[in-house]
Amino acid sequence: MKQLLVFVICVLICGSGANAQCNSETLSSQCIPKLASGFNFLKSYKVERGGKEYVEYSYVFTKGTQYMINICGSEQNPDGIIVTLYDSKRNMVATNKVKDQYINAIAYPCNATGIYYIQYTFDESSGCGGSALGFKR
Amino acid sequence: MKILVAGLFLVLFAACGTGTKTEEKTFAEALDETSLNSTILTGEVNEILNRIPSPLEISVLLKESGKKYDAAFLNSPENVSKYNTNYKRALNLGIYGTDLGYTNIYEQTQDGVRYMSTIRNLANDLNIGQFFEMETIGRLVSNNNNLDSLLLITTQNFNAINHYLQSQDRSHLSVLFLTGGWLEALHITCQVAKLTPENHQLQETIGTQKIILDNLIHLLSMFKETDHNMGTLFTDLQDLKQAFDKVSITTIYKPSSFEIVDGVMVVKDNSVSTVEITQADIESIRTITQSIRTKVIS
Repeated sequence: MKQLLVFVICVLICGSGANAQCNSETLSSQCIPKLASGFNFLKSYKVERGGKEYVEYSYVFTKGTQYMINICGSEQNPDGIIVTLYDSKRNMVATNKVKDQYINAIAYPCNATGIYYIQYTFDESSGCGGSALGFKR
Repeated sequence: MKILVAGLFLVLFAACGTGTKTEEKTFAEALDETSLNSTILTGEVNEILNRIPSPLEISVLLKESGKKYDAAFLNSPENVSKYNTNYKRALNLGIYGTDLGYTNIYEQTQDGVRYMSTIRNLANDLNIGQFFEMETIGRLVSNNNNLDSLLLITTQNFNAINHYLQSQDRSHLSVLFLTGGWLEALHITCQVAKLTPENHQLQETIGTQKIILDNLIHLLSMFKETDHNMGTLFTDLQDLKQAFDKVSITTIYKPSSFEIVDGVMVVKDNSVSTVEITQADIESIRTITQSIRTKVIS
């Protein structure tokens, strides 16, 4: 019985350790200084796949303002993390995946004010990363 | 011992779920209907809260318009002693936050220090004073060369406050904080637009606040039955919504194109939005905004 208990506790500890490996908070903070010069920081986003198909945030973008979204993966940038920007009617506006290439940052000069959805999906990725949003006029 | 082992197995199987959806389902099944609804509500509230744009964007636009700094547009720090309820404190924390951003963008050091001190006092009263690194901020405020760092750290502080309030089930304060910040930004924009009627960019910016107002009204509607003050604010913003209902925003979507420049994907947005707003609409919005703001800061 004792052996069984020790086994179960070990599995529990190991399991929690695996989840704790993704430090998306740190990765999102590391992404902030990587915004290009002239961009003011707005938001940092944790990108942690867990069991989800995607991670999504939304933000109201304003016409006449340029936004930058960058991605920081846990191993190498952007570590198979795809960021796709959709407008309020879910039309795709931009994605950082071009053919088989993943770009680290998107610069988006907004021409239509509205709610935009910033969606992160994963291609052969560790599913762990961070992202930052900045703006400039 | 058997019970202990059974309990451990239950925890183990719960921990071995294949993903968030399974975890959420298990969690949801353990809750009663009321709690489940409130869980969904909290998620929706936080999602909307996080999409409200920073008032800093408007402050940058105002400076870009060429209009000089005017402290008369702002809420005097001396008014802080009037705010002795958490409702008033949270709303005015947002208002002072926008004022601080405005002073920072215009590099008005002395006023910035006064607003920072006022904000710290309000934040302390709301038990969220720990998020302001006063020593660092004071050093940055007194050194104009560090404007970027100052904007960064104040934005991070305000984001941290919002996340903290949301994680502590105090989202209603976050709603008030963001509503106050938005109201102040709209108020300043309306005042500047009144002085520069030829500035179409400002008029359009006022018109597009319709989108944010709709989101704030939706947020307040979730609290209006349980919090009398938030119910009153909801009613006041409904009056403002009537003025905004005359504003028309049309968007035509066209697929964007892009090029890669220095490792950055630079998008060319081919969509277009147009805002139809008259001077009469702006005057109506300005008057109602001022009336609501006067109630809030008094």
